[in-house]
Amino acid sequence: MIDRLLAAAGHADVLWRREERTAIAFDAGRLKTAGITEEAGINLRVVAAGRMGVAGTTAAAPDLGELVARARASAELGEDLDLVFPPTSPLPHVPTFFDRAADASLDDLIALGRGLVERLAREGCQVNVAIEREVGETAVGNTAGARGGYAATGVGVTAEIIRIAADDVLMIYDQYVGGDLPSGDALEALARSIEMRLEAALTIVSPPEGALPVVFTPAGLAAIVLPLEQALSGKTVLQGSSPLAAKVGEQAFDPRLSIVDDPVAPNGPASRPLDDECVPSARTALVERGIVRGFVYDLETAARAKARSTGHGRRGIFGKPQIRYTNLIVGPGPDGVGAQHAAPLQLGGGLISDVKDGLIVDDLIGVGQGNVIGGGFSHPVGLAYRVQGGEITGRVKDAAVAGNVYDLLKSIAGFGTDGRWLGSRWSPSLRLDGVSVARR
Amino acid sequence: MKDRLAAALKTSRADYTEIRVERTWSSAVTFRGRRLETATVSEDQGGFVRALDRGCGWGIASFTSLDELPAMVARAHELSRAIQLDRPIHLAETVPQVADAALDLDGDVRGISLGEKKKLIETYNGAMLGVSDAVVDTQAIYRDEVSEVWYVNSEGTALAQLRPEVTVSGTAIARRNGTIEKGLESIGLRKGWRSVHGLEERFRVVAQRAVELLDAPRVQGGAYPVILDNELAGVFVHEAFGHLSEADFVYENPQAREMMTLGRRFGKPVLNVGDNGAATGLRGTLPFDDEGTPTQDTPLIKDGILVGRLHSRETAAALGERPTGNARAISFRHPPIVRMTNTYIAPGRKGATLQDLIKDVKLGVYACGAFGGQTMLENFSFTAAWGHMIRDGHIAEMVKDVVLAGNLFQTLDRIDHIAGDFTWNQMGGGCGKGGQFPLAVTEGAPHVRIEEILVGGDV
Repeated sequence: MIDRLLAAAGHADVLWRREERTAIAFDAGRLKTAGITEEAGINLRVVAAGRMGVAGTTAAAPDLGELVARARASAELGEDLDLVFPPTSPLPHVPTFFDRAADASLDDLIALGRGLVERLAREGCQVNVAIEREVGETAVGNTAGARGGYAATGVGVTAEIIRIAADDVLMIYDQYVGGDLPSGDALEALARSIEMRLEAALTIVSPPEGALPVVFTPAGLAAIVLPLEQALSGKTVLQGSSPLAAKVGEQAFDPRLSIVDDPVAPNGPASRPLDDECVPSARTALVERGIVRGFVYDLETAARAKARSTGHGRRGIFGKPQIRYTNLIVGPGPDGVGAQHAAPLQLGGGLISDVKDGLIVDDLIGVGQGNVIGGGFSHPVGLAYRVQGGEITGRVKDAAVAGNVYDLLKSIAGFGTDGRWLGSRWSPSLRLDGVSVARR
Repeated sequence: MKDRLAAALKTSRADYTEIRVERTWSSAVTFRGRRLETATVSEDQGGFVRALDRGCGWGIASFTSLDELPAMVARAHELSRAIQLDRPIHLAETVPQVADAALDLDGDVRGISLGEKKKLIETYNGAMLGVSDAVVDTQAIYRDEVSEVWYVNSEGTALAQLRPEVTVSGTAIARRNGTIEKGLESIGLRKGWRSVHGLEERFRVVAQRAVELLDAPRVQGGAYPVILDNELAGVFVHEAFGHLSEADFVYENPQAREMMTLGRRFGKPVLNVGDNGAATGLRGTLPFDDEGTPTQDTPLIKDGILVGRLHSRETAAALGERPTGNARAISFRHPPIVRMTNTYIAPGRKGATLQDLIKDVKLGVYACGAFGGQTMLENFSFTAAWGHMIRDGHIAEMVKDVVLAGNLFQTLDRIDHIAGDFTWNQMGGGCGKGGQFPLAVTEGAPHVRIEEILVGGDV
């Protein structure tokens, strides 16, 4: 079908994707829902008279002529673009398909979930567990002759404890995301991570106030990483709104900070051999020891910026390709991944022993809703702990943290020993000193 | 199509079966800066089957290939039977509905060329870019859709609905040296082409505001009396209370049920809150929800007292209450879950104005517009687009980064004044829950005063 479509379309590239998902959900400890999803579709992009257009369809037996006509109509309104499709080239070997995940039966998934529910069950707590297994096939091609494709499996396990005591609502969440089923160790780590945070949260203490040391856990780090993700996107650079655009080669951050996007990372949840525009996967160094090295691009932004695509084109069935990170690795060294949990897992990642008064932030509310691109953040805490005299003294509520990422990351107090995957981001805890903490 | 679904329904051997099929025609035009990003027309289609055998769990199948419909009906039943439950799932009784409900298309977007849509959004984009050289980047999006939705269930409900939607939105990014600020406009309507014209001024105003924010100081953190404008008060009620009133949060959790006991006081007598899926002509309005239950106006807080909550048929049965028509799914890819529709704070004393709320505030914050909100049930945040300090009863200098940290039990109870100037705010975007985003909802409120609430920021 891809060949036929490309032949009809002229200068074009195409993505075909089929996905089957099986999902089960335990609600308050009881398995209540089992579901499947089957979805397939085609996304076509054409360049006609130097202008780009796209069209997509989820129809089971698509009318290819109609699809091409729709893409051409879209191109008629499009802007001029000198889009060069990549020729065929060798692809890296990246494992994306795991038989164990693909072959797991509904009963296997139920047993896995039930085990986790039992492991987490405790008096006065509601336990919700959801498991999703996906088996997908992707095929891409373009009129420059490139063809690629791969089969992939993906497994997501999420677990959540809701503890309501009088008017105190405590929610603790964790997840496993990977290509293969989680190992027993991975499941135990997930359970331990929830347990550890729950136990430390049972005591409620008053929040501190002032400019204080704050440890952001790998989950709490989202508010810090989000502005960087936006600023390191070639799209933002192209639009003139990236604060890092003019800083390539400059020391913009503490030399302990490195950021790499690595689509070929072993066990990376987002690993794949090529992107959705036929560009082979390779590591992209974004920040090396605090120095800005580059940005991520897809074909279009690269063409407009006179840069090379870094292989970060991601397309859905509808709309045009967009830049998307794969496995984003944030840590102390460019080769930081792999430094696994220092056992036993510690809340704070070993960064609190010299903190006289401060916070560990594990979850913030409203991340992404402020002026993200400017680097400013201000959020109420969703889950945070007070640290006094080097020890966790309890959970704090009704406090808010604020600061500017670009100011704070000029000096890092330290990275923790608790590096882990969270979705497709890998990072340890990060301690920043001088974060504003307000309380009521 | 109804006949095809009825035939598929007959093949089901489950005690309860429902089928939903959707065909959505949509178009979108996006500008980024001066450049057109995309102009596309799409058609998406698919089906959803949910089956329930007595004593078993829910079996669900969603799919894009309608040829698979009979096979999917069987598969959903099989999945239901794979789950054995000690406490069975019950569905509250409803009267089966048979109806064709086509909402007013208000100028059918399918009859308008992509070129005309491009011209319209280009004008709005130009209004933002024309404000000043400091506006370095914009995003302007026109999006419309017309959805045909068929729904049948084994109790005799058979519905055909036509649901239109149109959204125009813009983001303006202003920059001077290292300082970057944004302005946001978003208008989302359950209407058509005729309703999105003549909005240039609104887009110009948000770009202007992004530029003004470059010179505004960050608000100083701490607890203040805060007056919310209509838009932010709407987001506030959605986050602060709306999500807590969704019965799927309480029905399986005894402690949550206790916390949310009907009759409990949540606010002062001035506070009245509800959710009205049947309100005329709003974005969250639909005649029926995605279980075929008619929508209605549901009072949630009356004179400060909790009086109701939002239900699906399952949660209503579990709590011995009545379904409210709040089971909604964003598309055939998802099951219906308990969601809000058009959520509101009812107006206070007639004629009460913003000035009445401000006049005795010595030092406070007037928080305006909304960048968004998020809840963790007891605690929640909502982010104003901009703010002003209130000094000695007067609106004073502009401030930025106004993020409010709310607490369900304290913040609602500290609402002490509500103005009479109610408006609905029909924004684009929508609400996210359980992986389903964006769901079309509307919020409505007058100006509202909170005696004291935490504002994040440097201290």
